[in-house]
Amino acid sequence: MANLQIANARKSYDNKQVLHGIDLHIEDGTFLVIVGPSGCGKSTLLRMIAGLEDITDGTISIDDEVVNDLEPSARGCAMVFQNYALYPHMSVEQNIGYPLKIAGVSKPERARKVAEAAALLELGDYLDRRPAQLSGGQRQRVAMGRAIVREPRLFLFDEPLSNLDAKLRVQMRIEIKRLHRRLSATSVFVTHDQVEAMTLADKLVVMNAGKVEQVGTPGEIYRAPASAFVAGFLGAPAMNFLPGKVLQQGNLHILPNTEIAVHSQELHQWTGREITIGIRPESLLLGKPSAEGIPAHVDLIEELGGSRVAYCRTDGPEIAVVMHGDLTVREGDRVSIGLLPEHLHFFEKTNGQRLGGGQASQQAQASRAMHVAFN
Amino acid sequence: MTTETLSLPMSTSGLQSRKKRRQANLAIAGHALMIVMSLFAVFPVYWMLVSSLRAENHIFDTALWPDAASLDNYAYALSAIPIWRMLWNTLVVSAAVTFIQLLTGIAAAYGFARWRFRFDKFVYALIGLTWLVPIQVVMIPNYLLVARMGLLDSLPALILPHFASAFAIMLLTQSMRAFPKEVLEAARMDGAGSWRTLWEVIVPNLRGIIASLAILIFISTWNEYFWPLLLSRSAENTVIQIGIQMFITQEGTSWGPLMAASSLASLPILLIYVVLQRQVIQSFMKSGIR
Repeated sequence: MANLQIANARKSYDNKQVLHGIDLHIEDGTFLVIVGPSGCGKSTLLRMIAGLEDITDGTISIDDEVVNDLEPSARGCAMVFQNYALYPHMSVEQNIGYPLKIAGVSKPERARKVAEAAALLELGDYLDRRPAQLSGGQRQRVAMGRAIVREPRLFLFDEPLSNLDAKLRVQMRIEIKRLHRRLSATSVFVTHDQVEAMTLADKLVVMNAGKVEQVGTPGEIYRAPASAFVAGFLGAPAMNFLPGKVLQQGNLHILPNTEIAVHSQELHQWTGREITIGIRPESLLLGKPSAEGIPAHVDLIEELGGSRVAYCRTDGPEIAVVMHGDLTVREGDRVSIGLLPEHLHFFEKTNGQRLGGGQASQQAQASRAMHVAFN
Repeated sequence: MTTETLSLPMSTSGLQSRKKRRQANLAIAGHALMIVMSLFAVFPVYWMLVSSLRAENHIFDTALWPDAASLDNYAYALSAIPIWRMLWNTLVVSAAVTFIQLLTGIAAAYGFARWRFRFDKFVYALIGLTWLVPIQVVMIPNYLLVARMGLLDSLPALILPHFASAFAIMLLTQSMRAFPKEVLEAARMDGAGSWRTLWEVIVPNLRGIIASLAILIFISTWNEYFWPLLLSRSAENTVIQIGIQMFITQEGTSWGPLMAASSLASLPILLIYVVLQRQVIQSFMKSGIR
C-alpha cells in the first residue's frame, strides 16, 4: 500500500501540451478512478505514474518519494493493460511468475506465490494453458495475477475491461472490487465508462482536455457536478441542458417560454443573467398537456426493461425523461414535462462552471411540483 | 404476382446450379494448369536424376527411364572430387552464415524497431540500398580485403562478407515494429531490460518468421556460386557448387558425373523442402517472394 501525490504534472508532445498541471493526492488503500472522454489525457497520466511516459514538468511521488526519474520496474507499480499484454508464448503459470523470475525469486518461492495468486483468481485449473487458449475474462485475470504476484505498492489499470463483452465486464468489475477490498491496495483505474467509474471508485477524478474537472466521491460528483461537462458526462441518459434566464425573486425563465418559481436566494444574485439549467432525466416528470411545465411531444421511447426513456421534442432542445411505473405514454403523445426545482443545477452559460455551491434543493423552496399521471 | 413468386425460387436454383457448375469448371481448369506448371518445375530435377543413372554413351537419350540404370556416375564423381568434404564445407558455411545473419539481423532490427535515434531513418534506408547493390560491384574490394587478411582459399572467407543481410534486417524490423507495444511495456513494468525483452519476449514470439528467414538464408547460401568461385583454390576448401563445376572442363563436360554430383548437392535442399515443406512455403509467402 502506498499514497500517491501528483503535483503540477504536465506533459507535452512536440511543444503541444496535453496535460495542463494535474494535482492529485491519493491516500493509502484508495481506489481512484480517472474517467473522461477519449483523448482527455487520462491514459497519459496513468502512463506517467507507471513510468512509461516521461514527465515534462511537475512531480509524481509514491510514499513521499519522487519517482520522476525511476524506471517503471523500480517504482513498485504493477499495471493491467487494456489488451491484457500477456506473453503469448508463455503458459499462465509462466506469465504470472515472470516478474518474480526477473526479480530473481527462487523457483519454489515463485511456484508458491503463483499458486496463491492463481487460487485467489480461480485460475488453478488453467496454469498450463497459453493465453490463446483462454477466454477474455480469464486472460484479464491472468493479467491481474501477474500484477498481484509482485505485491506492488500501487496497482494501475488502463481500461482493463473495455475489451470484454457487456456481461463479462459487469462480472469482472465486481471481481476487481472484491479483490480491492481483500488486498486493500492503492489502485488507479482509468476508464471512459461512467458506470465502471461510478461503481468502482472510492474517489473519482473527471478529466477533460488535459485538465481535472472535478475530484470527489461518485455520489458527490453526481449530486453536485462542478461543471456542465461533468454533469453531462456522468449519468445515462445524460443530463438535459436547457437555456434559461434568472428573473426577479430568483425565479427562472426557461427559454423559450416556460417560467418556474424557484425562490432561490442563490439565484437572486444572478438576476438578469442568462444561464444553463441542468436537470437529470430521472428528475423530470411527464404529465398530461397543461399550462404548467414545458409543452412537448414524445418523439421516441427507449425500453430499458426496468424503466423507459422518453425523448421529447420541445420548442427548445430535446429533453430525455426517465419513466418509471406504468405510465401509458406512447410515441407521438403530447405531454407536459414537469420540473422539480430542488433537482435543478445551474451553470454559467459562457464557461459551463457551476453556479452556487450545492444543488438547488438546498436553497430552493419547491413552489410546485407538477405530476399528472397518465392513465 | 403469384407467377413471379412461384417462378422466382426455380430460376434462383437454376442460376445457383449454373454458378456452381461454372465454379467447378474453373476449379478443374485451375488444377489442370497447376499440374502442368508443376510438371515444368519438377521435370528438370527428374531429368537430372535420370541422367545421373545413364551410361556416358547414352547420356543424351530421350527415353524417360534408362535401359540400364547404374550408379557408375556416382562412383566416378565420388572418386574424382571430395564430394563429402565439399558437402560438409557447404553445410558449415550455410549454417554459419544463417546463424550469423540471424544474430546480426535480430540485433539490428531490434535497434531500428525499438529506438528513435539521430539519422535512424537514413541509416535504415542505406541498409535497404545495400540490398540493391549486386555482388559484382563489391566483389573486388571484398576480394582484396580477404586477400590482405590472408584468408584466401579458406572457409571463413566464404562466411565473412555475409555477416549481415539487408533483407534479414528489414524483414525482422518490420516484424518487430508490428509486435504489440503493450507486451513490451508489460515486460518493462515486470523489470525486464532491453536484452531480456529481446531474447525472452520478442524472439520466442517471432519464431515463425525467424525459421522462415533461416530457411531462405540457408538455401541461398547453399546455392551460392560466384563468391566461392572467386576465392577457392583447392578442392578441400571449397563448396559443392564449385565441385560440380569441376566436371566442366576445356576438354568437354562429363554430363553423367556432373548430374550425379548435382543430385548429391541437391539432396540436402530437397530434404529441407520435403521435411519442412509447410515452413518453406510460408517463408516465401512471409518474405513476399513468390
